[in-house]
Amino acid sequence: MADVMNVGVNLEAFSLAINAIQALRSSVTRVFDSLKDGMKNKETLEGREKVFITEFQDNLQSVNRDLNELERLSTLVGRPSESHPLHNSGLLSLDPVQDKTPLYSQLLQAYKWSNKLQYHAGLASSLLNQQSLKRSANQMGTSAKRRPKVQPSTLVLPIQYVDDVISRIGRMFPDMSIELFRPNGTSAVLLVTLGKVLKAIVVMRSLFIDRTIVRGFHENIYSEDGKLDIWSKSNYQAFQKVTDHATTALLHYQLPQMPDVVVRSFMTWLRSYIKLFQNPCQRCGKFLQEGLPPTWRDFRTLEAFHDTCRQ
Amino acid sequence: MGVTCVCQVPVSEGKSVQQTVDILHKKLEQLGAVKQGNFWVDCETYHATGNATGQPSKLLYVMHNSETPLSCMALFEGGPGLSADANFDVLMVKLKSHFQNAKGHKVESRGVRYRYCDFLVKIGTVAMSSSARGISVEVEYCACVIPGDCWNLMKEFMQSFLGSNTPELPTVFTSKAEGLSVPVDCMDTMSQYLELFGRVRKQQVLPGSGVR
Ligand SMILES: [Zn+2]
Repeated sequence: MADVMNVGVNLEAFSLAINAIQALRSSVTRVFDSLKDGMKNKETLEGREKVFITEFQDNLQSVNRDLNELERLSTLVGRPSESHPLHNSGLLSLDPVQDKTPLYSQLLQAYKWSNKLQYHAGLASSLLNQQSLKRSANQMGTSAKRRPKVQPSTLVLPIQYVDDVISRIGRMFPDMSIELFRPNGTSAVLLVTLGKVLKAIVVMRSLFIDRTIVRGFHENIYSEDGKLDIWSKSNYQAFQKVTDHATTALLHYQLPQMPDVVVRSFMTWLRSYIKLFQNPCQRCGKFLQEGLPPTWRDFRTLEAFHDTCRQ
Repeated sequence: MGVTCVCQVPVSEGKSVQQTVDILHKKLEQLGAVKQGNFWVDCETYHATGNATGQPSKLLYVMHNSETPLSCMALFEGGPGLSADANFDVLMVKLKSHFQNAKGHKVESRGVRYRYCDFLVKIGTVAMSSSARGISVEVEYCACVIPGDCWNLMKEFMQSFLGSNTPELPTVFTSKAEGLSVPVDCMDTMSQYLELFGRVRKQQVLPGSGVR
Protein backbone atom coordinates (compact mmCIF):
# COMPACT_ATOMS: atom_id res chain seq x y z
CA MET A 1 0.00 0.00 0.00
CA ALA A 2 2.93 2.24 0.73
CA ASP A 3 4.01 1.87 -2.88
CA VAL A 4 0.66 3.06 -4.05
CA MET A 5 1.00 6.16 -1.90
CA ASN A 6 4.38 6.83 -3.38
CA VAL A 7 3.11 6.67 -6.88
CA GLY A 8 0.27 8.94 -5.93
CA VAL A 9 -2.52 7.11 -7.62
CA ASN A 10 -5.99 6.73 -6.12
CA LEU A 11 -6.64 3.10 -6.98
CA GLU A 12 -10.35 3.20 -6.17
CA ALA A 13 -10.92 6.16 -8.47
CA PHE A 14 -8.77 4.37 -11.01
CA SER A 15 -11.04 1.32 -11.16
CA LEU A 16 -14.13 3.53 -11.27
CA ALA A 17 -12.55 5.44 -14.16
CA ILE A 18 -11.92 2.23 -16.05
CA ASN A 19 -15.59 1.35 -15.63
CA ALA A 20 -16.54 4.79 -16.87
CA ILE A 21 -14.40 4.34 -19.97
CA GLN A 22 -16.19 1.06 -20.66
CA ALA A 23 -19.55 2.78 -20.29
CA LEU A 24 -18.47 5.57 -22.61
CA ARG A 25 -17.32 3.13 -25.23
CA SER A 26 -20.58 1.20 -25.19
CA SER A 27 -22.70 4.36 -25.41
CA VAL A 28 -20.62 5.55 -28.37
CA THR A 29 -21.11 2.14 -29.96
CA ARG A 30 -24.85 2.53 -29.48
CA VAL A 31 -24.82 5.86 -31.34
CA PHE A 32 -23.18 4.32 -34.36
CA ASP A 33 -25.31 1.18 -34.19
CA SER A 34 -28.50 3.22 -34.40
CA LEU A 35 -27.05 5.33 -37.20
CA LYS A 36 -26.11 2.18 -39.03
CA ASP A 37 -29.58 0.62 -38.65
CA GLY A 38 -31.24 3.78 -39.94
CA MET A 39 -34.96 4.55 -39.71
CA LYS A 40 -37.31 1.77 -38.64
CA ASN A 41 -40.50 0.93 -40.46
CA LYS A 42 -43.44 3.12 -39.36
CA GLU A 43 -46.69 4.04 -41.16
CA THR A 44 -45.72 7.55 -42.12
CA LEU A 45 -42.41 9.05 -43.20
CA GLU A 46 -42.91 11.75 -40.52
CA GLY A 47 -43.29 9.09 -37.81
CA ARG A 48 -40.18 7.32 -38.95
CA GLU A 49 -38.08 10.47 -38.81
CA LYS A 50 -39.42 11.45 -35.41
CA VAL A 51 -38.59 8.13 -33.77
CA PHE A 52 -35.12 8.12 -35.35
CA ILE A 53 -34.27 11.63 -34.18
CA THR A 54 -35.44 11.00 -30.59
CA GLU A 55 -33.41 7.83 -30.43
CA PHE A 56 -30.33 9.64 -31.80
CA GLN A 57 -30.70 12.45 -29.26
CA ASP A 58 -31.06 10.00 -26.36
CA ASN A 59 -27.94 8.19 -27.43
CA LEU A 60 -25.91 11.38 -27.74
CA GLN A 61 -27.06 12.47 -24.31
CA SER A 62 -25.89 9.24 -22.73
CA VAL A 63 -22.49 9.70 -24.42
CA ASN A 64 -22.33 13.17 -22.96
CA ARG A 65 -23.26 11.88 -19.50
CA ASP A 66 -20.63 9.13 -19.57
CA LEU A 67 -17.99 11.56 -20.78
CA ASN A 68 -18.73 13.97 -17.94
CA GLU A 69 -18.50 11.14 -15.44
CA LEU A 70 -15.13 10.10 -16.83
CA GLU A 71 -13.83 13.63 -16.63
CA ARG A 72 -14.95 13.93 -13.01
CA LEU A 73 -13.22 10.67 -12.08
CA SER A 74 -10.03 11.53 -13.93
CA THR A 75 -9.43 14.47 -11.58
CA LEU A 76 -9.68 12.05 -8.65
CA VAL A 77 -7.16 9.57 -10.09
CA GLY A 78 -4.32 12.01 -9.57
CA ARG A 79 -1.03 12.25 -11.44
CA PRO A 80 1.75 9.70 -11.14
CA SER A 81 4.96 11.00 -9.69
CA GLU A 82 7.21 12.61 -12.25
CA SER A 83 10.32 12.23 -10.19
CA HIS A 84 10.88 8.78 -11.62
CA PRO A 85 13.68 8.90 -14.25
CA LEU A 86 11.72 6.82 -16.68
CA HIS A 87 8.43 8.63 -16.06
CA ASN A 88 5.37 6.43 -16.42
CA SER A 89 7.40 3.45 -17.53
CA GLY A 90 8.83 3.43 -13.99
CA LEU A 91 5.48 2.02 -12.93
CA LEU A 92 6.51 -1.21 -14.57
CA SER A 93 8.88 -1.75 -11.64
CA LEU A 94 5.80 -2.17 -9.46
CA ASP A 95 4.85 -5.35 -11.20
CA PRO A 96 5.11 -8.04 -8.50
CA VAL A 97 5.80 -10.84 -10.98
CA GLN A 98 9.25 -9.65 -12.06
CA ASP A 99 10.46 -13.09 -13.03
CA LYS A 100 7.72 -13.65 -15.57
CA THR A 101 7.73 -10.18 -17.13
CA PRO A 102 11.21 -8.68 -16.82
CA LEU A 103 10.06 -5.66 -18.81
CA TYR A 104 11.49 -3.10 -16.42
CA SER A 105 15.06 -4.41 -16.33
CA GLN A 106 15.03 -4.80 -20.09
CA LEU A 107 13.83 -1.24 -20.43
CA LEU A 108 16.61 0.04 -18.18
CA GLN A 109 19.19 -1.79 -20.27
CA ALA A 110 17.80 -0.43 -23.50
CA TYR A 111 17.87 3.04 -22.00
CA LYS A 112 21.51 2.75 -20.98
CA TRP A 113 22.39 1.34 -24.39
CA SER A 114 20.70 4.16 -26.26
CA ASN A 115 22.44 6.73 -24.01
CA LYS A 116 25.79 5.21 -24.84
CA LEU A 117 24.94 5.10 -28.55
CA GLN A 118 24.10 8.76 -28.54
CA TYR A 119 27.39 9.58 -26.82
CA HIS A 120 29.48 7.58 -29.30
CA ALA A 121 27.54 8.97 -32.25
CA GLY A 122 28.38 12.45 -31.00
CA LEU A 123 32.09 11.61 -30.82
CA ALA A 124 32.04 10.01 -34.28
CA SER A 125 30.22 12.98 -35.75
CA SER A 126 32.79 15.47 -34.46
CA LEU A 127 35.62 13.27 -35.81
CA LEU A 128 33.98 12.99 -39.21
CA ASN A 129 33.40 16.72 -39.39
CA GLN A 130 37.16 17.26 -39.33
CA GLN A 131 37.29 15.50 -42.69
CA SER A 132 34.36 17.28 -44.19
CA LEU A 133 36.11 17.68 -47.56
CA LYS A 134 34.62 14.30 -48.34
CA ARG A 135 31.24 14.69 -49.89
CA SER A 136 30.37 11.02 -49.53
CA ALA A 137 31.11 10.98 -45.79
CA ASN A 138 28.90 13.99 -45.32
CA GLN A 139 26.00 12.48 -47.08
CA MET A 140 25.95 9.54 -44.71
CA GLY A 141 26.02 11.74 -41.63
CA THR A 142 23.51 14.15 -40.26
CA SER A 143 24.62 16.92 -42.60
CA ALA A 144 22.91 15.16 -45.50
CA LYS A 145 19.76 16.79 -44.23
CA ARG A 146 21.48 20.11 -43.84
CA ARG A 147 22.99 20.27 -47.29
CA PRO A 148 19.97 21.23 -49.35
CA LYS A 149 19.50 24.17 -46.98
CA VAL A 150 23.07 25.35 -47.50
CA GLN A 151 23.14 24.98 -51.23
CA PRO A 152 20.49 27.43 -52.37
CA SER A 153 22.28 30.32 -50.67
CA THR A 154 25.62 29.52 -52.34
CA LEU A 155 23.97 28.77 -55.66
CA VAL A 156 23.10 32.41 -56.10
CA LEU A 157 26.64 33.78 -55.78
CA PRO A 158 27.23 36.85 -57.92
CA ILE A 159 28.84 36.13 -61.30
CA GLN A 160 31.67 38.55 -60.51
CA TYR A 161 32.59 36.58 -57.39
CA VAL A 162 32.74 33.30 -59.31
CA ASP A 163 34.92 34.94 -61.97
CA ASP A 164 37.28 36.26 -59.29
CA VAL A 165 37.65 32.90 -57.55
CA ILE A 166 38.35 31.13 -60.86
CA SER A 167 40.91 33.68 -62.04
CA ARG A 168 42.66 33.56 -58.67
CA ILE A 169 42.92 29.76 -58.95
CA GLY A 170 44.14 30.14 -62.54
CA ARG A 171 46.99 32.38 -61.39
CA MET A 172 48.08 29.81 -58.78
CA PHE A 173 49.19 27.29 -61.42
CA PRO A 174 51.38 28.63 -64.22
CA ASP A 175 51.29 25.37 -66.20
CA MET A 176 47.51 25.30 -66.16
CA SER A 177 45.33 27.69 -68.10
CA ILE A 178 41.70 28.14 -67.16
CA GLU A 179 39.29 29.79 -69.60
CA LEU A 180 35.80 30.62 -68.43
CA PHE A 181 32.77 30.47 -70.73
CA ARG A 182 29.08 31.06 -70.07
CA PRO A 183 27.43 29.34 -73.01
CA ASN A 184 24.10 28.74 -71.26
CA GLY A 185 23.13 31.66 -69.06
CA THR A 186 24.84 32.23 -65.73
CA SER A 187 26.41 28.81 -65.20
CA ALA A 188 30.10 28.80 -66.00
CA VAL A 189 31.95 26.19 -68.05
CA LEU A 190 35.71 26.04 -67.53
CA LEU A 191 38.16 24.86 -70.13
CA VAL A 192 41.27 23.74 -68.30
CA THR A 193 44.37 23.15 -70.41
CA LEU A 194 47.07 21.33 -68.50
CA GLY A 195 50.46 21.73 -70.15
CA LYS A 196 50.46 19.76 -73.38
CA VAL A 197 48.91 16.75 -71.70
CA LEU A 198 45.18 17.17 -71.38
CA LYS A 199 42.17 19.41 -71.64
CA ALA A 200 39.38 19.22 -69.09
CA ILE A 201 35.93 20.69 -69.44
CA VAL A 202 34.46 21.51 -66.04
CA VAL A 203 30.77 22.35 -65.89
CA MET A 204 29.93 24.55 -62.91
CA ARG A 205 26.80 25.50 -61.07
CA SER A 206 27.70 28.67 -59.29
CA LEU A 207 30.90 27.55 -57.52
CA PHE A 208 29.90 23.88 -57.39
CA ILE A 209 31.41 21.54 -59.96
CA ASP A 210 28.60 19.69 -61.64
CA ARG A 211 30.52 17.39 -63.99
CA THR A 212 33.82 17.13 -65.73
CA ILE A 213 35.19 15.48 -68.83
CA VAL A 214 38.87 15.03 -69.67
CA ARG A 215 40.28 14.72 -73.20
CA GLY A 216 43.70 14.57 -74.79
CA PHE A 217 45.63 17.77 -75.51
CA HIS A 218 45.17 17.29 -79.25
CA GLU A 219 41.52 16.24 -79.19
CA ASN A 220 38.59 18.40 -80.28
CA ILE A 221 36.90 20.39 -77.58
CA TYR A 222 34.41 22.07 -79.88
CA SER A 223 31.54 20.29 -81.57
CA GLU A 224 30.77 20.80 -85.26
CA ASP A 225 28.59 23.84 -84.60
CA GLY A 226 31.51 25.58 -82.89
CA LYS A 227 30.20 25.23 -79.34
CA LEU A 228 32.14 23.71 -76.47
CA ASP A 229 31.47 19.99 -76.57
CA ILE A 230 30.70 19.14 -72.95
CA TRP A 231 29.35 15.64 -73.61
CA SER A 232 31.53 13.47 -75.91
CA LYS A 233 34.02 11.31 -74.12
CA SER A 234 37.66 11.10 -75.15
CA ASN A 235 38.69 8.76 -77.96
CA TYR A 236 41.53 7.46 -75.81
CA GLN A 237 41.19 4.92 -73.04
CA ALA A 238 43.76 6.74 -70.90
CA PHE A 239 41.64 9.89 -70.79
CA GLN A 240 38.41 7.96 -70.33
CA LYS A 241 40.00 6.55 -67.18
CA VAL A 242 41.15 9.98 -66.06
CA THR A 243 37.60 11.26 -66.59
CA ASP A 244 36.27 8.49 -64.35
CA HIS A 245 38.79 9.35 -61.66
CA ALA A 246 38.05 13.07 -61.93
CA THR A 247 34.38 12.31 -61.34
CA THR A 248 35.38 10.36 -58.24
CA ALA A 249 37.45 13.35 -57.13
CA LEU A 250 34.40 15.60 -57.40
CA LEU A 251 32.63 13.33 -54.94
CA HIS A 252 35.67 13.29 -52.67
CA TYR A 253 36.42 17.01 -52.43
CA GLN A 254 33.30 18.46 -50.85
CA LEU A 255 32.82 21.27 -48.35
CA PRO A 256 29.43 22.88 -48.88
CA GLN A 257 30.23 25.92 -46.76
CA MET A 258 33.39 26.77 -48.74
CA PRO A 259 32.85 25.90 -52.40
CA ASP A 260 35.93 27.89 -53.47
CA VAL A 261 38.17 25.60 -51.39
CA VAL A 262 36.63 22.63 -53.17
CA VAL A 263 37.37 24.07 -56.62
CA ARG A 264 40.93 24.84 -55.56
CA SER A 265 41.47 21.34 -54.13
CA PHE A 266 40.08 19.77 -57.29
CA MET A 267 42.33 21.88 -59.53
CA THR A 268 45.37 21.06 -57.39
CA TRP A 269 44.54 17.39 -57.78
CA LEU A 270 43.92 17.69 -61.53
CA ARG A 271 47.24 19.47 -61.94
CA SER A 272 49.12 16.35 -60.81
CA TYR A 273 48.26 14.86 -64.23
CA ILE A 274 50.89 17.13 -65.80
CA LYS A 275 53.16 14.08 -65.69
CA LEU A 276 50.48 11.56 -66.72
CA PHE A 277 52.81 9.93 -69.26
CA GLN A 278 56.06 10.56 -67.40
CA ASN A 279 55.43 9.18 -63.91
CA PRO A 280 55.78 5.45 -63.35
CA CYS A 281 53.39 3.80 -60.90
CA GLN A 282 54.36 4.28 -57.23
CA ARG A 283 53.42 0.70 -56.48
CA CYS A 284 54.60 -1.52 -59.34
CA GLY A 285 57.20 0.90 -60.74
CA LYS A 286 56.05 0.38 -64.32
CA PHE A 287 54.68 2.82 -66.86
CA LEU A 288 52.05 0.54 -68.32
CA GLN A 289 49.51 -1.82 -66.85
CA GLU A 290 47.15 -3.36 -69.40
CA GLY A 291 48.30 -0.74 -71.88
CA LEU A 292 47.37 2.20 -69.65
CA PRO A 293 49.64 4.66 -67.83
CA PRO A 294 49.12 5.28 -64.08
CA THR A 295 45.80 7.13 -64.40
CA TRP A 296 44.98 7.34 -60.68
CA ARG A 297 46.24 10.14 -58.44
CA ASP A 298 45.99 9.78 -54.68
CA PHE A 299 43.66 12.44 -53.25
CA ARG A 300 46.02 13.30 -50.40
CA THR A 301 49.56 12.66 -51.64
CA LEU A 302 48.84 13.13 -55.39
CA GLU A 303 51.06 10.11 -56.09
CA ALA A 304 50.56 8.24 -59.37
CA PHE A 305 49.14 4.73 -59.39
CA HIS A 306 47.64 2.41 -61.94
CA ASP A 307 43.95 1.94 -61.42
CA THR A 308 44.67 -1.68 -60.56
CA CYS A 309 47.56 -0.81 -58.19
CA ARG A 310 45.91 1.80 -56.00
CA GLN A 311 44.60 -0.33 -53.14
CA MET B 1 47.83 11.46 -84.30
CA GLY B 2 50.25 10.67 -81.53
CA VAL B 3 53.96 10.11 -81.08
CA THR B 4 55.30 7.48 -83.49
CA CYS B 5 58.42 5.39 -83.57
CA VAL B 6 59.40 3.51 -86.74
CA CYS B 7 62.14 0.92 -86.59
CA GLN B 8 63.53 -1.97 -88.53
CA VAL B 9 63.43 -5.42 -87.01
CA PRO B 10 66.06 -7.86 -88.25
CA VAL B 11 64.91 -11.16 -89.68
CA SER B 12 65.37 -13.89 -87.09
CA GLU B 13 68.21 -16.33 -87.57
CA GLY B 14 67.19 -19.16 -89.90
CA LYS B 15 63.75 -17.67 -90.53
CA SER B 16 62.17 -16.00 -93.54
CA VAL B 17 60.73 -12.49 -93.51
CA GLN B 18 57.20 -13.87 -93.39
CA GLN B 19 58.05 -16.22 -90.51
CA THR B 20 59.55 -13.36 -88.50
CA VAL B 21 56.49 -11.22 -89.19
CA ASP B 22 54.26 -14.10 -88.05
CA ILE B 23 56.20 -14.35 -84.78
CA LEU B 24 55.67 -10.63 -84.18
CA HIS B 25 51.94 -11.00 -84.91
CA LYS B 26 51.70 -13.83 -82.44
CA LYS B 27 53.51 -11.85 -79.73
CA LEU B 28 51.17 -8.90 -80.19
CA GLU B 29 48.09 -11.10 -80.10
CA GLN B 30 49.33 -12.71 -76.90
CA LEU B 31 49.59 -9.22 -75.38
CA GLY B 32 45.94 -8.66 -76.22
CA ALA B 33 46.36 -6.53 -79.33
CA VAL B 34 43.53 -6.68 -81.85
CA LYS B 35 43.90 -6.74 -85.65
CA GLN B 36 42.42 -3.64 -87.19
CA GLY B 37 42.81 -3.69 -90.96
CA ASN B 38 45.88 -3.25 -93.13
CA PHE B 39 48.23 -0.40 -93.87
CA TRP B 40 50.79 0.66 -96.41
CA VAL B 41 53.40 3.36 -96.77
CA ASP B 42 55.16 3.92 -100.11
CA CYS B 43 57.90 6.12 -101.40
CA GLU B 44 58.94 7.12 -104.93
CA THR B 45 62.26 8.76 -105.71
CA TYR B 46 62.72 11.65 -108.16
CA HIS B 47 65.93 13.14 -109.52
CA ALA B 48 66.01 16.84 -110.11
CA THR B 49 67.16 17.26 -113.76
CA GLY B 50 68.62 20.16 -115.69
CA ASN B 51 71.23 20.84 -113.09
CA ALA B 52 73.51 23.36 -114.84
CA THR B 53 76.36 23.28 -112.35
CA GLY B 54 76.85 19.56 -112.73
CA GLN B 55 76.75 18.91 -109.00
CA PRO B 56 75.08 15.75 -107.81
CA SER B 57 71.36 16.43 -108.01
CA LYS B 58 69.18 16.55 -104.95
CA LEU B 59 66.65 13.79 -104.51
CA LEU B 60 62.95 14.35 -103.95
CA TYR B 61 60.86 11.69 -102.26
CA VAL B 62 57.09 11.49 -102.73
CA MET B 63 55.35 9.37 -100.14
CA HIS B 64 51.87 8.08 -99.34
CA ASN B 65 50.48 6.74 -96.10
CA SER B 66 47.24 4.77 -95.78
CA GLU B 67 46.51 6.64 -92.51
CA THR B 68 46.08 9.82 -94.56
CA PRO B 69 44.81 8.54 -97.93
CA LEU B 70 43.86 12.01 -99.21
CA SER B 71 47.34 13.44 -98.71
CA CYS B 72 50.66 13.11 -100.39
CA MET B 73 53.92 13.98 -98.69
CA ALA B 74 56.99 15.29 -100.49
CA LEU B 75 60.37 15.47 -98.79
CA PHE B 76 63.67 16.73 -100.10
CA GLU B 77 66.67 14.72 -99.12
CA GLY B 78 67.82 16.24 -95.86
CA GLY B 79 65.68 19.27 -96.61
CA PRO B 80 62.19 20.58 -96.07
CA GLY B 81 59.04 18.54 -96.57
CA LEU B 82 55.48 19.34 -97.46
CA SER B 83 52.11 17.72 -97.17
CA ALA B 84 49.75 18.17 -100.13
CA ASP B 85 46.56 16.85 -101.73
CA ALA B 86 46.78 13.48 -103.45
CA ASN B 87 46.68 15.48 -106.72
CA PHE B 88 50.36 16.14 -106.12
CA ASP B 89 51.14 12.93 -108.02
CA VAL B 90 49.58 14.41 -111.16
CA LEU B 91 51.62 17.53 -110.67
CA MET B 92 54.79 15.46 -110.54
CA VAL B 93 53.93 13.96 -113.95
CA LYS B 94 53.61 17.48 -115.36
CA LEU B 95 56.96 18.38 -113.84
CA LYS B 96 58.78 15.48 -115.43
CA SER B 97 61.07 17.82 -117.29
CA HIS B 98 62.40 18.92 -113.88
CA PHE B 99 61.98 15.82 -111.79
CA GLN B 100 62.58 12.37 -113.20
CA ASN B 101 61.09 9.32 -111.57
CA ALA B 102 63.83 6.91 -110.64
CA LYS B 103 62.10 3.75 -111.82
CA GLY B 104 62.83 0.68 -109.78
CA HIS B 105 63.52 2.76 -106.72
CA LYS B 106 59.98 2.57 -105.37
CA VAL B 107 59.94 1.19 -101.84
CA GLU B 108 56.89 0.30 -99.86
CA SER B 109 55.91 -1.30 -96.60
CA ARG B 110 52.65 -3.21 -96.31
CA GLY B 111 51.22 -5.17 -93.47
CA VAL B 112 48.75 -5.53 -90.65
CA ARG B 113 47.62 -2.82 -88.28
CA TYR B 114 47.08 -3.75 -84.63
CA ARG B 115 45.38 -1.81 -81.86
CA TYR B 116 46.27 -2.28 -78.21
CA CYS B 117 44.61 0.20 -75.85
CA ASP B 118 45.78 3.60 -77.08
CA PHE B 119 48.65 2.10 -79.10
CA LEU B 120 48.65 1.43 -82.84
CA VAL B 121 51.21 -1.08 -84.07
CA LYS B 122 51.95 -1.64 -87.74
CA ILE B 123 54.07 -4.59 -88.74
CA GLY B 124 55.07 -4.21 -92.39
CA THR B 125 57.08 -6.10 -94.94
CA VAL B 126 59.40 -3.67 -96.72
CA ALA B 127 59.61 -4.48 -100.42
CA MET B 128 61.55 -3.07 -103.35
CA SER B 129 60.37 -4.01 -106.84
CA SER B 130 58.18 -6.65 -105.19
CA SER B 131 60.99 -8.48 -103.40
CA ALA B 132 60.89 -8.53 -99.61
CA ARG B 133 63.84 -6.69 -98.11
CA GLY B 134 63.04 -6.35 -94.42
CA ILE B 135 60.54 -5.72 -91.67
CA SER B 136 59.30 -2.36 -90.40
CA VAL B 137 57.56 -1.83 -87.06
CA GLU B 138 55.72 1.40 -86.36
CA VAL B 139 54.39 2.07 -82.87
CA GLU B 140 52.14 5.04 -82.28
CA TYR B 141 50.94 6.16 -78.86
CA CYS B 142 47.80 7.98 -79.88
CA ALA B 143 47.00 9.61 -76.52
CA CYS B 144 50.13 11.79 -76.41
CA VAL B 145 51.72 14.21 -78.89
CA ILE B 146 54.87 15.12 -76.95
CA PRO B 147 57.76 12.69 -77.58
CA GLY B 148 59.62 13.83 -74.46
CA ASP B 149 56.59 13.00 -72.30
CA CYS B 150 55.76 9.48 -73.40
CA TRP B 151 59.02 8.04 -74.73
CA ASN B 152 59.77 5.92 -71.64
CA LEU B 153 56.24 4.61 -71.67
CA MET B 154 56.48 3.71 -75.37
CA LYS B 155 59.83 2.06 -74.81
CA GLU B 156 58.37 -0.12 -72.08
CA PHE B 157 55.61 -1.17 -74.46
CA MET B 158 57.98 -1.93 -77.33
CA GLN B 159 60.22 -3.98 -75.06
CA SER B 160 57.24 -6.20 -74.33
CA PHE B 161 57.19 -7.54 -77.90
CA LEU B 162 60.47 -6.42 -79.52
CA GLY B 163 62.76 -7.32 -76.65
CA SER B 164 66.36 -6.44 -77.47
CA ASN B 165 65.34 -4.97 -80.84
CA THR B 166 63.68 -2.02 -79.10
CA PRO B 167 65.02 1.16 -80.74
CA GLU B 168 66.27 4.35 -79.16
CA LEU B 169 64.37 7.65 -79.36
CA PRO B 170 64.17 8.45 -83.12
CA THR B 171 66.65 11.09 -84.27
CA VAL B 172 63.86 13.00 -85.98
CA PHE B 173 62.80 14.08 -82.49
CA THR B 174 66.20 14.48 -80.87
CA SER B 175 67.48 16.64 -83.73
CA LYS B 176 64.65 19.15 -83.47
CA ALA B 177 65.83 22.60 -82.49
CA GLU B 178 62.74 23.14 -80.30
CA GLY B 179 63.51 20.03 -78.29
CA LEU B 180 61.39 17.10 -77.25
CA SER B 181 58.44 19.08 -75.96
CA VAL B 182 56.91 20.22 -79.25
CA PRO B 183 53.90 18.33 -80.56
CA VAL B 184 54.61 15.83 -83.33
CA ASP B 185 53.14 15.99 -86.84
CA CYS B 186 52.68 13.50 -89.66
CA MET B 187 55.96 14.50 -91.32
CA ASP B 188 57.85 13.10 -88.33
CA THR B 189 56.45 9.67 -89.12
CA MET B 190 57.21 9.98 -92.82
CA SER B 191 60.82 11.02 -92.29
CA GLN B 192 61.29 7.97 -90.06
CA TYR B 193 59.97 5.72 -92.85
CA LEU B 194 62.17 7.54 -95.36
CA GLU B 195 65.22 6.89 -93.21
CA LEU B 196 64.29 3.22 -92.88
CA PHE B 197 63.64 2.88 -96.64
CA GLY B 198 67.03 4.46 -97.33
CA ARG B 199 68.75 1.85 -95.17
CA VAL B 200 66.81 -0.98 -96.83
CA ARG B 201 67.68 0.32 -100.31
CA LYS B 202 71.39 0.22 -99.53
CA GLN B 203 71.36 -3.24 -98.09
CA GLN B 204 71.58 -5.54 -101.08
CA VAL B 205 71.43 -8.87 -99.39
CA LEU B 206 68.77 -9.86 -96.94
CA PRO B 207 70.41 -10.51 -93.56
CA GLY B 208 69.97 -14.07 -92.51
CA SER B 209 69.36 -15.33 -96.04
CA GLY B 210 73.03 -16.19 -96.32
CA VAL B 211 73.61 -16.43 -100.06
CA ARG B 212 72.51 -14.14 -102.79
ZN1 LIG C 1 51.10 -0.03 -61.01
